[in-house]
Amino acid sequence: MTGLPVADLLVLSGALLAVGIFGLLTRRNFILILIAVEVAMNATILNFVYFAAFAPTAAGLSGQAIAVVLIGFAATEVAVGLAIVLALNRIKGTINVAQATELRE
Amino acid sequence: MDASSFIGPFVPELLLLGAALLIFLLDVLGIRRNETLSTVAVAGTTLALLSVLGDLGFAPLSVFATLPANVIDAAPSTTGLYAFTSLGLIFQGIFLLSALLVSLASASRPSGEKGAPIFYGLLLLATVGMLLVAVATDLIFLLLAIEVTSIATYLLVAYHRREARSLEAAMKFFIIGALSTVLSFYGASLLFGAYGTTNLVAIGHATGAVGYPVLVLLGYGFLVAGLAFKVTLVPFHAWAVDVYDGAPSDVSAFLAGVTKKIGLFAYFLVFLGPVLYLRTVGGSSPFAGGPIDLGGTLTITLAVLAVVTMTVGNLLALLQKEMKRMLAYSSISQAGYMLIGVTIGTAPAITGATMQIFAHVLMKGGAFLVVAGVGALGVGPLIDDWKGLGTRRPLLGAAFALMLLSLAGVPLTVGFVSKFVLFSAAVQAQGYYIWLAVAGLLNSALSVFYYARVLKVMFFDTAPAPSTPPVTDALPAGGLGYGRAIAIGFIAVTIVAVGVYPQPILGAIQSAAQHFVVVGA
Repeated sequence: MTGLPVADLLVLSGALLAVGIFGLLTRRNFILILIAVEVAMNATILNFVYFAAFAPTAAGLSGQAIAVVLIGFAATEVAVGLAIVLALNRIKGTINVAQATELRE
Repeated sequence: MDASSFIGPFVPELLLLGAALLIFLLDVLGIRRNETLSTVAVAGTTLALLSVLGDLGFAPLSVFATLPANVIDAAPSTTGLYAFTSLGLIFQGIFLLSALLVSLASASRPSGEKGAPIFYGLLLLATVGMLLVAVATDLIFLLLAIEVTSIATYLLVAYHRREARSLEAAMKFFIIGALSTVLSFYGASLLFGAYGTTNLVAIGHATGAVGYPVLVLLGYGFLVAGLAFKVTLVPFHAWAVDVYDGAPSDVSAFLAGVTKKIGLFAYFLVFLGPVLYLRTVGGSSPFAGGPIDLGGTLTITLAVLAVVTMTVGNLLALLQKEMKRMLAYSSISQAGYMLIGVTIGTAPAITGATMQIFAHVLMKGGAFLVVAGVGALGVGPLIDDWKGLGTRRPLLGAAFALMLLSLAGVPLTVGFVSKFVLFSAAVQAQGYYIWLAVAGLLNSALSVFYYARVLKVMFFDTAPAPSTPPVTDALPAGGLGYGRAIAIGFIAVTIVAVGVYPQPILGAIQSAAQHFVVVGA
């Protein structure tokens, strides 16, 4: 599968990943962190779909299948994250990550 | 594929799944007695452990074997999702042993906690994920199995959902876990692009022959970083201490004992095949003369991570005043020792790393269980709060002392055996690997300082007059509870027994590692 424009893809999915990780590390609102995780996961899913389109049939199908599985997986992860947000909001009345400072060196 | 051929290989996983579902069913039926739930969990893990040991071929247990003998260590397929290697089965045994001990010890948790069924259910489901990691031969299967465990452990850490500390630990664990997941899946997607497959065996054989070296290099780079969070290697370690500290101590025992070991086994699977291949192929690899030497780059990266991890972990452990944080940092440094095995990648080195993992499950799991028990006795979190504990509670003190001595690598304990095997493998491997052994030995010497300090506090410092009356012994076995007492006792005895006579276990791991190197590459 030589000749596929890898550079274009790397720029796009790399940008998505960078935006996601930047958000993950800098946001103070837990909900926004969850959104950032989703953005970064989409970079991975995009890669699988893109490479699958150029791969031989069998590998292509498995690439598409992996993309679908990962979409389901990302939803699971966010569900768990939301559960933690709800519990945190209930006892602290805030979902600001910076105000969680009970554990320190 | 007929049903039996699919269910057949996964008996241990299905046993655990069944036990977890039974626990959730009991919850619905209103049966929430802690001892009952613990018994179900212990029964499930014991049966699964017997089945795994039977498959490994320990003679008296072979009646429990569920795998056909020709499946184990068979030539790996380049299309399958899973394969049964004897090294993988040994790891399954280690994971199950830890789950068994934690479920047993949890029988001593305060009864009447509302979330008890959830605790046991999640513990078993996390273990299912671990068992799947040990048989994976596909990158996506492997990463999803790791996530099964991770998602269950996020919730386990948040178990005390009315306590800010527990939730804060869960929140940090979740954010770092999500980061790690994103990085490792991104790496996997790049490798898929480079090789057109996610099967690790196929990747191992194809390594070198690929049109897009940049995808391979980036892919492995992201995988190293993503999985390093799970293993708590040093630049990626900061979450671990807060999480172990904030989580309930039983859960810390489980986390420190095993969840990071699945990351380590993933390192075995992901890197050993390709790296070994590249190292043996040498000159004929297109990377060798090209811009990047992938095998060499990976080896050096892992070696540096190993040395930095053990040194930083030990130095920070020296500075800690709280028992759980000290144990957490020592756990990080132990991960550095284990990584030596992955870096070298020869059969003796894998033997040493596996032995070190087995020892670590006993020592660190046991130590956190003691912390949980001592906490239930009303002793504070600081190391100084443990003053005189060794003289007041000689048996408990002796068990904890054994675990610390084993962590420090004192002879006649399992910790000595594992370090001996590991470091002699590094010396045997020649070249600059010898420096890994030197770094490991220096670090072991360094670690003696902080273990000895705890021993001094426990046995030679006299306790101040207690300002509060000691907690009345509500639980049997001197306030520990039978479950916790049995688990701690079993660990202490095993540490010495394997330390004095390691041959049966060491032999099994040696032959498994031999097979793994031949099959895996």
